[in-house]
Amino acid sequence: MMLRYRPVLLLCALMACVQVGWAQVDSGNEIPEVTRTYALVGATVVQAPGRVLERATVIIRDGLITAVGRDIPIPFDAEQVAADSFTVYSGFIDGLSHAGIPVPKEQPRAERPDDPGFPSDIEAGILPGLDVRTLLKADDKSLADLRKAGFTAAHVVPRGRMLPGSGAIILLAGDDIHELVYSGETSLFAQLASARRMYPGTDMAVIAKMRQLFQEARRRQRIEQLYAEDPTGISRPEYDPTHYALFPVIDGNRTVYFHTEDVLDVHRALALQEELGFSMVLTGFSGSFDAVDKLKDAQIPLLLTLDLPEDKRKQNDSQSADIDSTEAQPTDIAGGLPEVATPAYDPLLRVQDLNDLEEEKRNLEARRDAERKAYLESAGALASAGMAFGFTTLDTKASDVLPNVRTYVENGLSEDVALAALTTSPARILGVAATMGTIDVGKVGNLVVATGNIFDKDTEIRYVFVDGRKFEMEAAQRGARTSDAEAGSAVGTWSFTASTPDGDVVGTMVVNDDLSGTISMDVMEITFTDATFEDDVLSFSAATAEIGTISVTVTITGDEFEGVASSEVAGSIPFSGQRVNDP
Amino acid sequence: MKQLFLLTCGLALLASAAAQAPTGSVLVRDGTVLTVTDGTLENTDVLVVDGRITAIGSDLDTPAGAEIIEAGGMYVMPGIIDAHSHIAISNVNESSAPVTAQVTVGDVLNPYSIALYRALAGGVTTSHVMHGSANVIGGQNETIKHRWGAVDPEGLRMAGAPRTIKFALGENPTRVHGRGNNLRPASRMGVEYVLRETFNKAIRYQEAWDRYEAQVRSNRRAVPPAYNGQLEVMADILSGDIIVNCHSYRADEILMLMRVLEDFGVDRVTFQHVNEGFKIAPELAAFGAEGAAASIFADWWAYKFEVYYSTAYNAAILTRNGVLTSINSDSAELNRHLYHEAGKSQKYGGLTDNEALALITINPAKQLGIGDRVGSIEVGKDGDLAIFDAHPLSIYAVPQKTIVDGIVYFDIDRDADDMRLRVDPEAAIDTAILHTHDDHHQCLHEGSIDLYGFLANE
Repeated sequence: MMLRYRPVLLLCALMACVQVGWAQVDSGNEIPEVTRTYALVGATVVQAPGRVLERATVIIRDGLITAVGRDIPIPFDAEQVAADSFTVYSGFIDGLSHAGIPVPKEQPRAERPDDPGFPSDIEAGILPGLDVRTLLKADDKSLADLRKAGFTAAHVVPRGRMLPGSGAIILLAGDDIHELVYSGETSLFAQLASARRMYPGTDMAVIAKMRQLFQEARRRQRIEQLYAEDPTGISRPEYDPTHYALFPVIDGNRTVYFHTEDVLDVHRALALQEELGFSMVLTGFSGSFDAVDKLKDAQIPLLLTLDLPEDKRKQNDSQSADIDSTEAQPTDIAGGLPEVATPAYDPLLRVQDLNDLEEEKRNLEARRDAERKAYLESAGALASAGMAFGFTTLDTKASDVLPNVRTYVENGLSEDVALAALTTSPARILGVAATMGTIDVGKVGNLVVATGNIFDKDTEIRYVFVDGRKFEMEAAQRGARTSDAEAGSAVGTWSFTASTPDGDVVGTMVVNDDLSGTISMDVMEITFTDATFEDDVLSFSAATAEIGTISVTVTITGDEFEGVASSEVAGSIPFSGQRVNDP
Repeated sequence: MKQLFLLTCGLALLASAAAQAPTGSVLVRDGTVLTVTDGTLENTDVLVVDGRITAIGSDLDTPAGAEIIEAGGMYVMPGIIDAHSHIAISNVNESSAPVTAQVTVGDVLNPYSIALYRALAGGVTTSHVMHGSANVIGGQNETIKHRWGAVDPEGLRMAGAPRTIKFALGENPTRVHGRGNNLRPASRMGVEYVLRETFNKAIRYQEAWDRYEAQVRSNRRAVPPAYNGQLEVMADILSGDIIVNCHSYRADEILMLMRVLEDFGVDRVTFQHVNEGFKIAPELAAFGAEGAAASIFADWWAYKFEVYYSTAYNAAILTRNGVLTSINSDSAELNRHLYHEAGKSQKYGGLTDNEALALITINPAKQLGIGDRVGSIEVGKDGDLAIFDAHPLSIYAVPQKTIVDGIVYFDIDRDADDMRLRVDPEAAIDTAILHTHDDHHQCLHEGSIDLYGFLANE
């Protein structure tokens, strides 16, 4: 039996798990963490792109990185994480995101204004004064999803239309928004998103409306200044939240994060920026490989999308594979199946006969493949042109984020630049490089602990530290993989004995194929999902109404197990059992 | 203050104009040159150097680097100009209000639109891409050149072409706003009211800014009036900087707009469609200093009530009454055979070859205020040419090469099956199904016309 932790620390770890898990159930009854000091020992520490320490230690205390290097003394109160097979990165930073902003419930079709040419600013999606901090929900699932992909901080903006509001930088952990928010009013979010069935109902009207808003804001600001100097003889400027929210942008004190969906949007956003003269960060720009020179000349900070086109050929293949065989391989979004040798796209092809559909089709498919390839290579192309950029997850499912970063790397983006795009580049663009983006003493304790090189397809994230808080990744995929390979020895029905201070409690534990299961006793039944089983150690947590969250970690040897169950009510108690029968 | 705004806009315009469009040099040798403004020249060379026509004659020397096109037995005409089109733009109508003068399709040009290439394949080198006709005063239009392959939208603009704007009379604006939203205009009277009201607002707006600019010279604390992008554009129409292009059908409403424009001192207008123009051709010719222009369909009508009273003789009647007349497509299909459309004016009305060709070349160029740059084959004009294997007014003519600014953008010998600039990496691959002769009738019964199958089989 191999224990990762000294027994006392095992308990600490379990208690920490309990604390975190429980806080999500009811934050009003929190118990303090045992320690806020962690020591990651013996790891490969990638302090910054190109700056790597082998067999090094990172100490986090009270939310900050307090030591990095070799031969660092371990503080007496530190929870040690044996990280000798792990690689530690600075926590990833999402340059633009809606994380923590709940998706609005499906609205009944809104009343069209009586005069659709003159809707209110709210109806038209013009809310530059809306502060995203008022919309954040600390328990929104999107925060944990993004954290699972290694992200520890994000620049979040409201959902909406052309001017949805101002952005904030948040840390991806916290029990309420006060803990989440790192800084507010950091940006103005803009996109070429028209209103529905009212002005501005088209992109060209959105552009015209932006002009109108900026020009009129300049005028109103001028009147404000005159009035502030001396109000005598000047009519009182009217209250006007929309134009006033643009004053910091006009002054150059707030940057417009302009999100673009395609290369046409890019040209339009750049033209507007040049015309109206605001400070801008360009985000998204999917498929902008036609505009690389223009992007470079614009010298505007960039946050590249992680949304990549799906491989339609592969989908078709896997569909036919489903028909041919029940053992279809699972396909991931980007890399994967061995390349089928297909003829290259011939741009000069002229089929000789109208009926030669096969030849034409083959060429069109080859062209589509080439086009998709250009999307995959777009990050590498930007880097080759000498442009630094961060990433935005705005249009990307959290589970696709890391695979798609790897796809960019497989298609010509160097690992160092990819890591910079996840860490130092967004930190610089967002103006938080002093506190985030690298593993250096004094910075916020944001770390990603992975089983190896993060850009390798098989690397898994084991821990994410956000603001010095440890999150152990009990990823579903780990469970799933384990169940395929070796869940077998845990699966089954077991009788157990829990030795509580009030005497032994006996019952039955059932572990299913998918590592879900139940614990049944006279008084209650507890259901768990997402257990993990590795190195003969089975562990899971389950929320109960009666005794809060209980956590179980047992080591299985043959048909017996031995371990600990703990809960915040009962503390930690011995938990052992025997196999009753196979499933 | 306003001057500052204008300065900013001006600088932006300068910056975009500074991005020079690519030009080329080409010698088109030994063709039959239809100059349009100077008759037909047999066995004549046309030399284009760096995008401009520098010589027309015989046995011209080939400058270094110029592409040579042997046009013996072929016909060389000026690049065709489509005075009314909606290709290569992402939006057509901002239909949310009866007046949207502040929007411009020039902000949403789409250089990837395959319609540009297809138009080139019909000899069209310049299009006047217009806002739609949902509004009494719609958005501003853009005059573009078909520089296929320019992936920056700026590369399509014809730098220096005058600004134009779309107006619309009759059923469209009254349907959208009157019947659709219970707003003005619900009638043709209402259309006139909206026009007059908006022009009057623009006059007051301009007066307010003029007053402010006078005040602020002596009083630093003068308060500027509200900025209004829509009335800025209307004021530019009043000062003659923007040519009005008005969607119109009926004679009575065309006369109405001429009266309105006269009252407000606007004297450059091109009526679009103008199906009843033949009834009031002398009145159109007499408008303003240079007459009102007409841009029409050759023979398209009866698609709604206000378009029933029409004739294919419209082009001939307007032309012979001295109205500057063009034939346009308003369509990404019709623009590929505007030379056929021009030819119809010979069948119906007996226009001369030159008169017919002028309908799709120099006349639309003049209407757009670019008649000194394109629309005919003359030394000093842009090297925009279309080369046909027969006289372009012959039904047998097939375009062979189309040249813009001295660059060959369409060549029938290099016309691959897939000429798109970009494709959707996630789109399904569509291939046409070739119907047999027997199931062609089946298609018609099902209500869909399979043109591909029809052409392949008939």
